[in-house]
Amino acid sequence: MKYILLMSGTNAGVEGYRARPKQNIQAHMAVLHRINQDLTESGEFVATQGLAQPKEAKVVRGEKDGVPVTDGIFPESKEFLLGYWIVDVPNAERAYAIAGRISSASGNMPIEVRQFATYEAKS
Amino acid sequence: MKYILMMNTMKSGHGVPEWPRKDLQAHIAFMIAANKELHERGELVSAEGLSFPDQAKQVRAGKDGRPVTDGVFPESKEFLAGFWIIDVDSSQRAYEIAAKMSAAPGPGGAPLNMPIEVRPIMSGPPPEML
Repeated sequence: MKYILLMSGTNAGVEGYRARPKQNIQAHMAVLHRINQDLTESGEFVATQGLAQPKEAKVVRGEKDGVPVTDGIFPESKEFLLGYWIVDVPNAERAYAIAGRISSASGNMPIEVRQFATYEAKS
Repeated sequence: MKYILMMNTMKSGHGVPEWPRKDLQAHIAFMIAANKELHERGELVSAEGLSFPDQAKQVRAGKDGRPVTDGVFPESKEFLAGFWIIDVDSSQRAYEIAAKMSAAPGPGGAPLNMPIEVRPIMSGPPPEML
């Protein structure tokens, strides 16, 4: 079963992280890298991706004529997706265990865990 | 350049929307056709739908490193409903695609014009961080 592990944070949180000592950030990256390696070795790794900073985010809506309308103003409290891992694991408990490890490596920040939607093919 | 297009929903938006069946089918047919077109243009990297928010859990590591799960979220929380990752030449093209998805048909075939969050994807951590 495929699960996505979502790491989210606010703009202020991201700024705080970037202001940390370089060594501190390097150590965090090294642990995350190690987790990715372990998941690859156990055959559970599907994908991981970090997103660019929230200040580069835009929200787009289609207008009646289909022309995109973009807006980059978000409430201060908005949680932005910072990055995600997609894992293929036998059960939810294993997905939670991986999320726990990522959380532990990242100052115990919460990780949202969601299963992918699957639809049975019509026969 | 890679971009992620995120479709969010509020907590109340869990479950398949209670639209007439033909409207739901039209919505899904639109999404399938749009994904096919992106694939043919070589712009689609991946597209996934997520399970509904009632199945979401928040996980933190406890003191001993074991996962502590919680399924209680604030009413105002936005949940990711699905996403597309696209590889396009410019942000303008990413916005065009987002606008197309935004205008997917809803009840009665009227465009939903739902907000789609568009973000560039990082190719990796900055070299000085490794």
